[in-house]
Amino acid sequence: MIITKNISKHFGSFQALSDVSFEINKGEIVGFLGKNGAGKTTLMRILTSFLPASSGTVLIDGDDVAKHSLTTRQKIGYLPETPPLYLNMTVKDYLKFAAEIKGIPAKNRRRQFDRVMAECQLEHMAGKTIATLSKGYKQRVGIAQAIIHDPKLLILDEPTSGLDPIQNLQVRNLIKNLKDQRTVIISTHILSEIEHIAQRVLMIKSGEVIIDESLDSLMKSHTIDESSDKGSGQSRAMNLEDIFIHHHSELESNNKSSTLVNDHG
Amino acid sequence: MDKIYFIAKKELLTYFKSPVAYITLVLSISVFNVFFFLIIDQNREVSLRDVFHVMEFMFLFLVPIMTMRLFSEEKASGTMEFLMTAPVTNTAIVLGKYLGVLVFFSILISLTFIYFAIIEFFGTPDRLTIASGYLGVWLEGAFFIAVGMMTSSWTRNQIVAAMISYVILFLLYFLINFSKYFSGTAETLIQYMSTLTHLEHFIVGVITLGDLVYYLSGIFICIVLTRLSIENRMLQ
Repeated sequence: MIITKNISKHFGSFQALSDVSFEINKGEIVGFLGKNGAGKTTLMRILTSFLPASSGTVLIDGDDVAKHSLTTRQKIGYLPETPPLYLNMTVKDYLKFAAEIKGIPAKNRRRQFDRVMAECQLEHMAGKTIATLSKGYKQRVGIAQAIIHDPKLLILDEPTSGLDPIQNLQVRNLIKNLKDQRTVIISTHILSEIEHIAQRVLMIKSGEVIIDESLDSLMKSHTIDESSDKGSGQSRAMNLEDIFIHHHSELESNNKSSTLVNDHG
Repeated sequence: MDKIYFIAKKELLTYFKSPVAYITLVLSISVFNVFFFLIIDQNREVSLRDVFHVMEFMFLFLVPIMTMRLFSEEKASGTMEFLMTAPVTNTAIVLGKYLGVLVFFSILISLTFIYFAIIEFFGTPDRLTIASGYLGVWLEGAFFIAVGMMTSSWTRNQIVAAMISYVILFLLYFLINFSKYFSGTAETLIQYMSTLTHLEHFIVGVITLGDLVYYLSGIFICIVLTRLSIENRMLQ
């Protein structure tokens, strides 16, 4: 589905991404992890062809996003970090516009509109002006625009950022329901979210991919020795937060008193 | 073509969803009405010549207000990312937005057709000259809109976009006053660059190829520069 080869991106002298390569298969749910400024959003923007890569190629279903961007964009549903909403439009008008510019034939627009309204539980919000909606509902409208053309690939940049726990759970459940039949890339700081949704983790640090493996094997390969006497054999599997902190070592000493043990060294 | 139409329709919808559209229309027409009355009362002639001059001057102030939000707002709110990751070409985005404002501007111009009806009722005006004047004013507005759209694509701050538009439009409008300080080619060039020179021809009923080329090439250049600007992600 997605093949990236040696993607690099620099903004002036700042190197945002460095030689990033990976493959994502059809139907996979991949979580992008990394600190703020690690390069996750830049990578997502390159996949959606919003930003051109400085070097390297991205292929989606065999099409180069730089050369056939209209074809690849048709296959992608994208929710940026800030939901791209026209606040003075109603939910209905906005999704109608999204359906139009995403090239849905006129005869199918109504059906697709009804589908996303149901999937995102927005039926009773159709006539409301977007500016008046709560943050959770705005996020749902953002997701609705991303899936209205029934894309094969869904790219969600921090879809639950800033939501309260209830809204968070609602949006997470919505994403869980969306993942069937689709390849999903999700970036988030809420690591438990990745544990619930993703099958595979791609950890990015300073523009480089430092981990690319399935969630199961990542968990199995990292253990934590909880005894003060290192090597006593009392260890437990690390959760994703432990792994994240461990790989961002400058935080390790501040946040962990335990000794971390893992296969990655 | 469809997508240009959809984007233009959305632009028009956005205008009429906000009070800006109604305030612009009511204010403009009110000012035009006052000047129409004053001009007719003073000149006592069945012509809209001076009304066109007033309209042109008013558009210098009005157009940047109409265009300042076109791209600046999209950039500031993040919807630019939505547009530019949708399966739609950058040319369609620019043309759609341009068309949307042009239709709004055309609605504004069409509301002044009542002046023609009034002088037609009371006298026998030269219809062709008035039609030519309307064409000139419309072309000039279309050019101003293209300039305003271009400056809106340069910044995410609407006020900055409007200010840059004012600088460019005032320069184009008042340029003719500086021609006397030059001679030869420079003088000719300054005269050609000035919008006043070209509209004057239309207002007196003379449509020349040079005037049409001036407006159309101005619009074309601004549209191309707008497209280049939105493609330059450093300006996002």
